[in-house]
Amino acid sequence: MALSHPVISLGGSKIAVDVPHLAFVSAIVGWCVWFCRDAWLAQADVENLIMIVPAAVAAGVLYVFVAAGCFKVVGRADGFGTRRPLHTGVGVKIAGTMALLAALVVAGPLVGFDIASFVYILATLLLLGERRILILLLAPALFCIVVVYCFDTVLPIPLPLFFVAGGAP
Amino acid sequence: MINLAALVDAVHLLGSSWQPWLVVVPGILIGLIVHAVPGLTTSMALAICLPLIPYMDFLQALIFMTAMYAGALFGVAIPAVLLNVPGSAAAVGTTFDGFPMAQAGRHNEALGLALAASCTGQAAAYLLLLCIAEPIAAFAIKLGPPEMLVVSVWGLTLIARLRGRHLARGLLAGVFGLLLGTVGLSARGAPRGTFGIDLLLDGVPIVPAIVGLFAAAELFNLVGRDYIVDDLTRRSVNARRILIGMRDTFRYPGTLLRGALLGTGLGLLPGGHAIANLLSYSEARRAAKDPERFGTGDPRGIIAAESANASSEGGSMATLLALGIPTGGATAVMLVAFGMHNITGGPAFMREHTDIVYAVILSSLAQVVILGVVGFAFIFVAGFG
Repeated sequence: MALSHPVISLGGSKIAVDVPHLAFVSAIVGWCVWFCRDAWLAQADVENLIMIVPAAVAAGVLYVFVAAGCFKVVGRADGFGTRRPLHTGVGVKIAGTMALLAALVVAGPLVGFDIASFVYILATLLLLGERRILILLLAPALFCIVVVYCFDTVLPIPLPLFFVAGGAP
Repeated sequence: MINLAALVDAVHLLGSSWQPWLVVVPGILIGLIVHAVPGLTTSMALAICLPLIPYMDFLQALIFMTAMYAGALFGVAIPAVLLNVPGSAAAVGTTFDGFPMAQAGRHNEALGLALAASCTGQAAAYLLLLCIAEPIAAFAIKLGPPEMLVVSVWGLTLIARLRGRHLARGLLAGVFGLLLGTVGLSARGAPRGTFGIDLLLDGVPIVPAIVGLFAAAELFNLVGRDYIVDDLTRRSVNARRILIGMRDTFRYPGTLLRGALLGTGLGLLPGGHAIANLLSYSEARRAAKDPERFGTGDPRGIIAAESANASSEGGSMATLLALGIPTGGATAVMLVAFGMHNITGGPAFMREHTDIVYAVILSSLAQVVILGVVGFAFIFVAGFG
């Protein structure tokens, strides 16, 4: 079954709105406008704005065309296509994975990326349904050792770590 | 156009000792492994290996670095095909048809196509470089900021074509990318769009951006599935099917040649190697009688992107050797290696060490064959790993 879209009435016609797509495009163009304003406030001269302002204006013009495509008269053959709903539980898993990734980014500099990565991988494996104890312990540990070693060797900026290179960050 | 005396000297240099050849296989393997991991870059791998450079003679060091570069150019295609995560910006075009092929259980053929296109692209670029290294260098030095701007705008307009009928969406994505690229300090030091975060003063770092855009998005996409390909029998690594993919590459000689020529030309320009794959993909799509098949797992998409990506190495090396100008991070690190041997790249280097330039080109042609064998073995061994 395809996802249904909210329908609004306009001048006697029923129009379906692709809200997620419209919100996504609005967020992108909203950032473009904000960025243009920020750049203008930072340095209001031609040298700084010669590319930013035309690009932001272009984004605004293109927004009109893309956003217009998010509105379709109900019943027309060329609707929004067949976007299918997520299976039960998948939406929760995606949201959980996003939350865990955000937690890794926030917690990494605070507690050290070795500990944060270990907990992140362990929690993600659990969330995705892994229940074998050996895998749950070995996979995060192995991954952390390899990643921490590689980053410790490669990065010119020391990676905040709990156990290596001088203890807690 | 070819200096025959220098060419004979180059053959003598390469044939008189086995030492320069010792570093080829390790170099290709390092390049392959590093770039099979999204987020790690050629310049990063070259930088790690820089401490080894003073212990090699100059020719051996150059061959080692070009071998790493050659391995890396194919390595980026592996995660692009299997995970929809390009190893770098240079493999974005490979994902468009490579991942749909993997989803359809045709990952063996896709990797075979990528390997053969990569090897052929590199071979074509170095053959071209051998013939016209000096004229190319003379042309490249005439390109100034206006010409670079035209190339950039051309790249942006072609991005709009990549997603077929959604012209406005493609252009909007291009404009969004353009603005994201200006985040950070202005020419006079005013911070723009940084949210007060010091780390953004230098702009949005390319590697985290690529990992975030491609890897994180794909991570969320794969959360609801156990495997990219659910059918176990379609997940196996099959040498015969990889070879079929390699053979099929040569069924599209026009796409292959166009990609190689575009890649070589764009490789000459700073940053050109990053867009070569996209421009070549767009051109292949434009020239096709059935462009709607692109993006659904069409072999021509992989061939176009990979041949251009691989051949851009030849162009980059031409600019580096002939002008001493690095066109990207990898060639910038190579320039540091030049300095370690008290050598400065540029017209004087081309004039005084033509034999070494030709030796590097000839060894790179040999590396193409070795890459074919090592790359095939790498896919096979990694697939069973």
